[in-house]
Parts: sequence; C-alpha cells; structure tokens
Amino acid sequence: MPRRGVWIAGAATPIVIAALLLLAMPTVTANREQSSTATAKVTIDNFSFRPQTLTVAVGTIVTWTNGDDIPHTVVSDDGVFKSKARDTDEQFSYTFDKVGTFPYHCSIHPKMTGQVVVH
Amino acid sequence: MASEGFLGTAAPRYADLVLLLEIAMGLALLIGAVLARKGKFRGHAWCQSAVVLLNLAIVVLLMIPSFYVHVSRNIPAKLGKAYYALPTAHATLGSITEIAGLYILLAAGTNVVPQRFRMTNYKLWMRSVLALWWLVLLLGLATYVRWYVPGVFRK
Repeated sequence: MPRRGVWIAGAATPIVIAALLLLAMPTVTANREQSSTATAKVTIDNFSFRPQTLTVAVGTIVTWTNGDDIPHTVVSDDGVFKSKARDTDEQFSYTFDKVGTFPYHCSIHPKMTGQVVVH
Repeated sequence: MASEGFLGTAAPRYADLVLLLEIAMGLALLIGAVLARKGKFRGHAWCQSAVVLLNLAIVVLLMIPSFYVHVSRNIPAKLGKAYYALPTAHATLGSITEIAGLYILLAAGTNVVPQRFRMTNYKLWMRSVLALWWLVLLLGLATYVRWYVPGVFRK
C-alpha cells in the first residue's frame, strides 16, 4: 500500500469507529430505558382476572392476556382505558402513569372485575 | 357499565331477560298450537301474533346490535369457533323463521298479501315454523351457555 493510502486509512479508522459508536449510542440508551420500565401481567382465566387486585408502581405497563376460549374486554370503570374484544391468547396493555386505584371490568361479562392499585 | 345478570352466570342483565323471554315465548307458541287444536282460533291468532311481534322487537333492539358488535366482524374468519358459529347459525335460522312467522301472520290474519302469494297449506307452514322456532330457541340457549357460563367450555 502506498504511504499516502496508509495515512488516509489510519486517519479514517478512528473517524469510522467514532461514527459507529455515535450511531450505537441511542440504541444503547433506548435499551437501557426499556429494561428499566416495569411490567406486570394479568391473566384472564375461566371468566376471572388473575390477580384480581394488582399493585404496581407508577409507570408500570400492565398487560392482560386472555387465556379463555372466548373473547373478553378490559374496560376501566372510570373510562381511563378500554380494550376492544380480545380473543384467545390476545393481549391488551396499558401504562399506568398516575397514582390511584383503577377498577375495571369485562364489558361482555359484568361479573368479571378487577383493579390495579398504582403507588 | 352493564348490570350483572340474575341467573348466576356471567351474563349481563339484559341477556338473562332475553333468555327468559325467549323461553316464555317458545312455550307460548306451544300453548297457541294447543289452542288451534282445540278450535279456539281467535285465541290462537292473538297468542301467535303477539309472540312473533314481541320477538321482532327483541331481535331488532337487542339481538342485531349485539350480533353486529360481537360476531359479524369475526365472520367468516372465526366461524370455526363455537363462540361465533352458534350465534351465526342462530341468527341465520332465526331470521328465516321470523320472516316466515311474519308471512303467516300477514297471510292468515290480514288481506295485505295478494291471493297468489298466499299459502295453501296452513297447517304445514305453521307446524314447520313452530319446529324451526324451537330449533332456533335451542341454538339461542346454546349461544347463551357458550358465551356466559363459566367452566362449560374451558380451554
């Protein structure tokens, strides 16, 4: 390799590495944010929400999964959140950004009730 | 939020009411048939007419909206599931039966239907519709159980 080519390669390598690191940084940050987000699960099984009362911290993403062989909905009593009918194994998620108690029910089966307590 | 039912299932109150009304109407049709056999045709006409018209109101006000929201958007894709197949069969046969019932009502009780469109064999028509009505009622009962009774069809 001519001398000039070696020089260019030597100067370009740190620039390319720096550029790659810069590109990678937002991803690393995003991943860090994702892993710090708390999650919680509620299972719908045999016409009931389990657990019936879930206590979580502010910012937690709660995911309901329908384990029944028929559709259910997850509807907040106060209109804070509302899912469409979720069929078998389908999910619905909601992020709880405020402190409080959030009672909810299934609009198809009013006897199915639960609540999320956010502290 | 819909009110809870009173039959001890997971159904809302209106579904329990509709179930009881439909069973009562099915029984009323049988009583109406007995009235016809006893020659009390006026009572027979009143009884069957009231049932067909009350059922029409229930179908239009409650069943069609419920079918639209919960079932129609999922057919034909999910017809393999009893949850959708039962109400679809109930709705299809039920529509035919209700229309046939209205036709008998108009043909036998009024002069609205032109002579050439009137039935000739009343007994066959009426007995067929009565049999269909009970089949539809049983499909409706099966739908209620599938939708609202926990544990019967557990995954």
